[in-house]
Amino acid sequence: MPERSGTGPSLFRQIARRLLVFTLIFALLDVVIVLVTYARQPESLAQELLGLEARRVAVIDDPINAVPLTGMRNFSARFVQPDVDDDAVLIDWTRREQIEGGYRISGVRALDDGDDPRWLFLRFDAIGIRPFLPVIRNELIEHVALPLVPLAGLLLLFNIVSVRRTLAPLRRAETEVDGLDPQDMSLRLTMPSQPREVNTLVRAGNRALARLEASVLTLRDFTANAAHELRTPLAIMQLSLERLPDGPIKSDLQTDADHMTRLVGQMLDLAQADALVVDESVVVDLAAVGRAVVTQLAPKSFVAGRELRFSDHGGSMIDGHAEAVFRIYRNLVDNALAHAPGATPIEVSAGPGPQLAVRDHGPGILAADQPHLFERFWRNNRSSADGAGLGFGIVKRLVDAHGGTIVIETPEGGGALFRVEFPNAAATAG
Amino acid sequence: MSIMRLLLIEDNPRLAGLIRDGLQGQGFAVDWCGTIAGAEAAQKVNSYDLLLLDLGLPDGDGLELLRTVRRRKDATPILVLTARGGLDDRVSGLDAGADDYLVKPFQIPELAARCRALMRRPGAALGTILACGNVMLDTVERSITIGATAIEAPPREVDLLEHLLRRAGHVVAKAALENSLYAMDAEVTPNALEAVVSRLRKRLGSAHADVTVRTVHGVGYALLAPLAAPVATQAENA
Repeated sequence: MPERSGTGPSLFRQIARRLLVFTLIFALLDVVIVLVTYARQPESLAQELLGLEARRVAVIDDPINAVPLTGMRNFSARFVQPDVDDDAVLIDWTRREQIEGGYRISGVRALDDGDDPRWLFLRFDAIGIRPFLPVIRNELIEHVALPLVPLAGLLLLFNIVSVRRTLAPLRRAETEVDGLDPQDMSLRLTMPSQPREVNTLVRAGNRALARLEASVLTLRDFTANAAHELRTPLAIMQLSLERLPDGPIKSDLQTDADHMTRLVGQMLDLAQADALVVDESVVVDLAAVGRAVVTQLAPKSFVAGRELRFSDHGGSMIDGHAEAVFRIYRNLVDNALAHAPGATPIEVSAGPGPQLAVRDHGPGILAADQPHLFERFWRNNRSSADGAGLGFGIVKRLVDAHGGTIVIETPEGGGALFRVEFPNAAATAG
Repeated sequence: MSIMRLLLIEDNPRLAGLIRDGLQGQGFAVDWCGTIAGAEAAQKVNSYDLLLLDLGLPDGDGLELLRTVRRRKDATPILVLTARGGLDDRVSGLDAGADDYLVKPFQIPELAARCRALMRRPGAALGTILACGNVMLDTVERSITIGATAIEAPPREVDLLEHLLRRAGHVVAKAALENSLYAMDAEVTPNALEAVVSRLRKRLGSAHADVTVRTVHGVGYALLAPLAAPVATQAENA
């Protein structure tokens, strides 16, 4: 799984932060408006304060005992009743007089106690701004907080939904980019119809992919062409060497030329393996190919004092590419010939089922080396002049093209066993 | 034995010169031309036992010449020499009518062996004397000579030796040997071929033959020349 958590704040967070700042500015503006309004209408401020005090005092059994708030003087409160009959009512009124350092506020408020109406008379001197603070607070809650908090909440919710929705095409593009495979350069990202910003970004990405594909193909073609062009001069060199008089110089040069031939062949093989597309309609008999490989390589290995054996365990028909399977076998056998000591047999087998194996009796593959084995140009002994370390890279690529897997096992009795398993057992016709 | 005449179609003059000299050293007569047009002109004048064809030619693709030759029902064996060693190149070369396919670079003994193998095919002239190391077999007289000594052997062993000599240095499939050795027999025991091989081995050994008959388990048998003069079998990227 690639690293998913990017750096920097998420778009959601950025928008949320801006929304919050915006809401705060709006709230501040609201506060200013409320304050200005009341500063212009001190009358209504007094009304509100009286009402507030009435509600505070009403819960006390005897209003006489009510404690005045800070900044209030000459506080007096008492219940009053209309002097006439029971059906009469008193009217709420407020009076405000300027006094030294503040205002004297007095008035009556009706207390709604259900069946038993009561009226409270209040009078106090409010000195300075302090007594008005609860009123102002109430007003702010009512006019600023109550409308703005739900609005901010709704905006935040909208933010979550819309950001998630807007970014969905980006997330899909991200998944697709993660799925890009250098082996299949023809892959492109799905173009979202909207939003346009993502569409243009994806389009630009696809244009970049097209340029990359072109340059990768150029590189691949170059490798193939270069290797191809090298073969004719190599042929000339080898044939010229054959005409030299026998001697140590000639045999050294021939060894060098053979090594170079092998390198060029591997580079070309690898370039071709990279471009291989397996046509799954072709049936390949792993046993027949294995026999052909042993047939071709056995004389050479006999000359080198080595022995190749083949065994067929049956049922090894797959859908695949015969020449590619041949090269899988051949590279594995070449590796075994290079690494296992003389006089030990190399066992090539096909089956049971859609798999092939090559086993040698050499020193085996160190566990530490196994992860590197299929890396291109990797060799466990860099001073070794044998091959370029491309053989396993070729094998891996050819196996991948078949959708197969290759595993390295340590069989009983030592050595190394390379097992290639293919997913596509051919449908047996009868 | 008549000299085998080859036509080499290769546009690189230096490589062509080396191949011609090498094959002439192996007893072939070689004509050379560097273009498709030249090859067609040469074929009108002479008849060849074998064409050696390079695929990348200045005036066209060698595969085209191959198809032209086959279209006019000309069965002359054609060996393709090419720098192309692609995954599908061999198959497309053989599909186009080539008899064999050799990827550059190669060595002269290998090329000569492939040429001889092609000319031994049915329809082509058969050599009457087969030899490897100090073993010689006259395919007409059915007589075996080792060094300077003629030895006697039952027909089945002679047949086996002939098959192995024809593909000396190569592995001959067990199935192919069984088919030709026991074509007439109603029943073949599983070990019948092994028994014949074992008797032939003893016979060759006691007569001091310097060739060896090797078993390739699960595949077949190979007759190998003495190691001092190995038959080149380095088929690179075949």
